[in-house]
Amino acid sequence: MIHPLAPGVTASADVLGAKAHGLISLLRLGLPVPPGFVIGTPACRAYLRDGRLPADLGPAVRELAAALGDRPRSVSVRSGGPVSMPGMMDTVLDVPLTLSRVAPAVEAVFSSWHTPRARTYRELHGIPHDLGTAVTVQAMVFGERGGSGVAFSRDPNTGEPVPFGEVLFGHRGDDVVSGRSVTTPLRELAGREPAVWAELLAALDRVEAHYRDACSVEFTFESGRLWLLQVRPGGFVGRAAARVAVELADAGVISRREAVRRVPAFTEAPRIDTAGAEVLTRGLGACPGVATGRVATTADAAVRMDGPVILVRPHTSPLDLHGLAASAGVLTSTGGPASHAAIVARAMGKPAVVAATDLTVEASHVRAGDRVLPEGTLITIDGTGGEVVLGSPPVLTNEPDPYVRRLLEWGA
Amino acid sequence: MTDLLVLHALRCMGSTVVGRVAAATGLPESTVESELIDLAVAGLVTHTSGDFGGWSLTEAGKAEDDALVASEVDDVRAAVTRCYKGFLVLNPELLDICAAWQTRFVDVLGVLTDFHGRADAVLADLSAALPRFARYRTRLGYAFDRVAAGHTAYLTDNLESYHVVWFQLHEDLLATLGIPR
Repeated sequence: MIHPLAPGVTASADVLGAKAHGLISLLRLGLPVPPGFVIGTPACRAYLRDGRLPADLGPAVRELAAALGDRPRSVSVRSGGPVSMPGMMDTVLDVPLTLSRVAPAVEAVFSSWHTPRARTYRELHGIPHDLGTAVTVQAMVFGERGGSGVAFSRDPNTGEPVPFGEVLFGHRGDDVVSGRSVTTPLRELAGREPAVWAELLAALDRVEAHYRDACSVEFTFESGRLWLLQVRPGGFVGRAAARVAVELADAGVISRREAVRRVPAFTEAPRIDTAGAEVLTRGLGACPGVATGRVATTADAAVRMDGPVILVRPHTSPLDLHGLAASAGVLTSTGGPASHAAIVARAMGKPAVVAATDLTVEASHVRAGDRVLPEGTLITIDGTGGEVVLGSPPVLTNEPDPYVRRLLEWGA
Repeated sequence: MTDLLVLHALRCMGSTVVGRVAAATGLPESTVESELIDLAVAGLVTHTSGDFGGWSLTEAGKAEDDALVASEVDDVRAAVTRCYKGFLVLNPELLDICAAWQTRFVDVLGVLTDFHGRADAVLADLSAALPRFARYRTRLGYAFDRVAAGHTAYLTDNLESYHVVWFQLHEDLLATLGIPR
């Protein structure tokens, strides 16, 4: 019931979980994945039934220790089911690679399948309770001695065929998604770690060719060496999805029919007409669209204030959800495209601007450079270009997009 | 002990208006207002005027509240800490429920009913240790009943909603145990 992380493994995603299945695809493409093994979902179901771990866990731990040789022998023990349940189950990091330390960690991850929170999540998302999770035991990579990031093979905002993403030097991957740190644009990697950069670009090309779609990878580098920790195909929306589909069809990678099928109908995001508008600052557009509202500096104020509001925070956490729900848009001074504010805004379909770094949020006012904006000041944000503008500027709608037009012709 | 009730309720709400403090404490608005004025004279709270104004604590008010809750919790710290741990297990689950409701408008009554049963048990223990917390049990119970009766705004979209009351309970537990956010 245990499978090595190796290119020859043929078990399905139902057994390996989606994450490990993706890792094996990466290995088959000859890409660097930290060594490890996967305990399949049948072992989880057996454990939950009779409390026994698979008999081959001991040998698997010994083989991995031998494969690691002189490398530091500590592993991560992560859940990963056929259906994604992000953050629901336990992950144990920095586990010393001995059976006596790995076995309890695996048990903890299996047992977390039945926590009330995980049950509630499955109810909310229509996931069967008897599915079980796989567990990936994998050598730790230390981003503290390098960095971590998320890389897209194309720009997810525009679909443009240039690598896009964010990197956090000197940190592990967990810090990239927390939104508490300001990440650096991916291209900085080119100057600071040219070998890692070159290898990453080659990896993105290979991954994209395999999935025949734009992809993203989570990566970590340690002492100049690149490791890929996760791969996700697709996931682009709107204009960006249209451009990717059209360009892939033009390159003969997919058919025109497939291109049309991949891009659901959407309305194009409006933009601020910045000519004549007073631009207060710029951040990164994290969810397209224009939103106008009064500045609210706390989630509570956002709920309390009348009329449309823009929630302005250093960063957001799940405790701010009531404020996000009450706001027309969200603006944060830290975080990146993978931060909590950006993810929730996209899920709620609200315009969002993140990483507006010269913005400071203080009690009942916001500072943008030298300007002080009291709570209640009317501002407008553009979730495509990242502009933050005073008042309510004119908005441009439906610029003609050649990619969308071609896709519509193909679909007719 | 009205002093502590109003001062502390305001602290857990951040900045707000008389009506909301009254709803949180269960005291009449007139009592809350005269209490807030006394506290303002003592330099413990301050009022900002304007459309988005409201009452909030001064630094001195925060220090006074810290001292009051610390002396109150002294004898029951172990019991309150145990309940706080129970709260921390429940907290992310409630946020999942609220997020699912806010982003996908799925039917959450079934999971909320199950959740509320477990939350209420923790709140019963907490109220037994510190009776002040019984107010949260009442408010959450009310919000739950409204949701169950089909008034779904009482889940997240209302100032006395389950989520907002839960958020204040979180603030209160942190303040009571002197844990920085």
